[in-house]
Amino acid sequence: MKRLVMALFAGAATLSAGLTSAHADAARGREVYTKVGCYQCHGFEGQGANTGPRIGPEPIDVEALKSFLRNASATAMPPYSEKLVSDGDVADIHAFLASVKKPPAAKDIPLLNNR
Amino acid sequence: MHEGAPAVSRRNFLAVAAASGAAAVATPGGHAEAQGVAALAKSAPVQAPDHAQMEAEIGTPIKVAATMAEPGGRPGSDYMVDVLRALDIDYVATNPASSCRGLHESINNYAMNKKPELLTAMHEEVATAMAHGYAKVSGKPMGLLFHGTVGIQHAVMAFYNAWCDRVPMLVMSGNHVDAAHRPPGIPTTHAAQDPLALVRDFTKWDDQPGSLQAAVESLTRAHKVAMTPPYGPVCISLDAHLQEGSAPAGQIRIPKVSRVSPAQAASEDLREAARLLVAAQNPVIVVDRGARTHAFQAMLVELAELLGAAVVDQLGRQNFPSHHPLNQTSRARGVATAADVILGLELNDFWGIVNSYSDVAEPRQGRRIKEGVRLISINSRDLFLKSNYQDFQRFQEVDLAMAADAEASLPGLIEAVKAALTPEARAAAAKRTAAHGTAVAKQLERMIGVDATYAWDASPISTARLSAELWAVIKNEDWALVSRDVRLSNWPHRFWTFDKPYQYIGDSGGAGQGYGMGAAIGAALAHREHGRFVVNLQGDGDLMYGPGALWSAVHHRIPLMTVMHNNRAYHQEVMHVQRVGNWRDRGVERAHIGTTIEKPHVDFATLARSMGMEGIGPIVDPADLGPALRRAAQIVKAGDPVMVDVVSQPR
Ligand code: HEC
Repeated sequence: MKRLVMALFAGAATLSAGLTSAHADAARGREVYTKVGCYQCHGFEGQGANTGPRIGPEPIDVEALKSFLRNASATAMPPYSEKLVSDGDVADIHAFLASVKKPPAAKDIPLLNNR
Repeated sequence: MHEGAPAVSRRNFLAVAAASGAAAVATPGGHAEAQGVAALAKSAPVQAPDHAQMEAEIGTPIKVAATMAEPGGRPGSDYMVDVLRALDIDYVATNPASSCRGLHESINNYAMNKKPELLTAMHEEVATAMAHGYAKVSGKPMGLLFHGTVGIQHAVMAFYNAWCDRVPMLVMSGNHVDAAHRPPGIPTTHAAQDPLALVRDFTKWDDQPGSLQAAVESLTRAHKVAMTPPYGPVCISLDAHLQEGSAPAGQIRIPKVSRVSPAQAASEDLREAARLLVAAQNPVIVVDRGARTHAFQAMLVELAELLGAAVVDQLGRQNFPSHHPLNQTSRARGVATAADVILGLELNDFWGIVNSYSDVAEPRQGRRIKEGVRLISINSRDLFLKSNYQDFQRFQEVDLAMAADAEASLPGLIEAVKAALTPEARAAAAKRTAAHGTAVAKQLERMIGVDATYAWDASPISTARLSAELWAVIKNEDWALVSRDVRLSNWPHRFWTFDKPYQYIGDSGGAGQGYGMGAAIGAALAHREHGRFVVNLQGDGDLMYGPGALWSAVHHRIPLMTVMHNNRAYHQEVMHVQRVGNWRDRGVERAHIGTTIEKPHVDFATLARSMGMEGIGPIVDPADLGPALRRAAQIVKAGDPVMVDVVSQPR
């Protein structure tokens, strides 16, 4: 799925004026992420669930994310217009998703090894 | 049970009762009549009234029915207990109701609360859920004893769940039909001409017998109807005058009970199904409420292995081992798309296998599977349908529809498949089995080895972590799960090995909230005699419909570990409201209004403790979870129920 989304919106990155994660605020991003309901389907850490795929850490490119949110109506996810989540909000959400701590490796989690 | 009974002159009533004794006055309706009488009295007599005084108070007694005063009579409700015993009913769950007091008293003092034993519930919806969970483990109905009006009204949604889930239960309700002689006041308010009309659309059968002989026959017939596939709830209105009346010993004949043989598919159709399945390149078996008894799973394994067929388990019951190489549930979409023959076993929604529906702003429908795929159905729902409620889902045309019980038909199908299998077909089946096994093993490796690690240390606690911690505690026990795990992203089904036929019982059926705790208690009660370690993954919103259920678990000492998946919301509804806000482009920040359970948070551990159940939590830090679960396990092993409140990720 991730590949499909990347492919669909890869063009968007080159077209837009380019907000980069460098200006973005991860702490604020976490707040927005929760407030506008991303957590509902993707989990508070973006870890994914049966209601929505994993989206962090290592999120898709910020422009691809923006395009995806704006055009999500083609998918099972409800769309987020600029009115609902501004470009700045998206950049902050992206920064938050990128900042999520990488999980430990499964081999280092005994519970996942002694099934 | 009703509130606010009119103030009765208690002393007057007791005095009247004392004077009349059990036998002196043929007062119809007994106790309630006397309450009405007493209510008329202006002052409380200190002495027992004589006959003239009595006449002055109540008028000339009119004899309306045989009562316990009949010489040589046996209480009518004792005969009802005889029937319940003949029907092998072990438990009757009740919320006490005056219109059922005759039968209630017979269970207490004639049956001595043994076979059947009464279970006290604090809401009829909870009592019904108890019967629901119990039947799915024990394979037999529980009795329920409710007021005919207010009690049934409380229970209605839970009946709908049982109906949708094809679960048998024997509901008995009280009534006072006879307007000329019933007690005035509340008993009359609680009387109805046709009390079971309310539930007729989603119960299999109901009756309001007019005599004691008819009553014992109706109870027997009701049981037979409930236990004929498709199973379902049945209700009998037992009028108070039948319960409280009497009949001479030997006059009422208790019918003989015979086991009903479930309908099997015709052998020529099974042969045709076998031919199609054996000839298929990619046979797929989809199963929902297939397992009617514990014998089903082994038969489905045999059939699937003979065919090398992918099995997609819709998890209505414990149908198929969770980690069998042919269990392709987690690859459902892919295997359905590749299928050339699909066998549906006791499906509620075959349409949903063949077609897709997207819940988007402009809903889209489409065909999910290839054109020309041969569809075969064995479904007992085709034998019995009702019109009003739409749980039968959208119509799906199939190539071969067998209106029959799938479980009863499997032996015939297996024989027909064996007869049709050539050596080449067997070799192809083995190849498919290996390929399916490899694909699903890879997927499992990714789910456990990668997906589960994300948010491992998060708070709220991830559903993967919760499931893994719980597995460590139960995996060496003889365990059973008595709830659905879809709201935990199915982590238990990905993680735990479900292979015993009693380890899982599906969900509510009608998706009516308020099912979880009651059903878990009923199921745990049925597991108790086998000494199994029972786990209930409980939704927070669901419990709050009937938290009094906790009390029943303690009162009846039913060992059960309840793990609260506390996401502090009716989370499904949070997502629904959110979606619409997005679609309408007018707000995504208010979906919590009316959907979340915050401000204040519910403290479930304290709630449990208030009813005598050990409560642990709220557990917020994942590091605390393992120790909490281990402590809870000790409590369950000592024979008691326990609650562990885990503040969790939404899904
Ligand atoms: C109501 C549930 C829901 C909400 C709310 C939601 N999503 Fe999604 N999201 C989904 C689903 C379902 C998909 C998968 C869509 C598909 O494949 O058709 C998805 C896909 C995505 C993807 C693509 C992932 C990939 O790699 O394929 C991203 C990125 C994403 N969501 C981000 C977000 C963000 C950011 C928010 C909040 C602004 C959000 N989502 C809110 C359900 C949701």
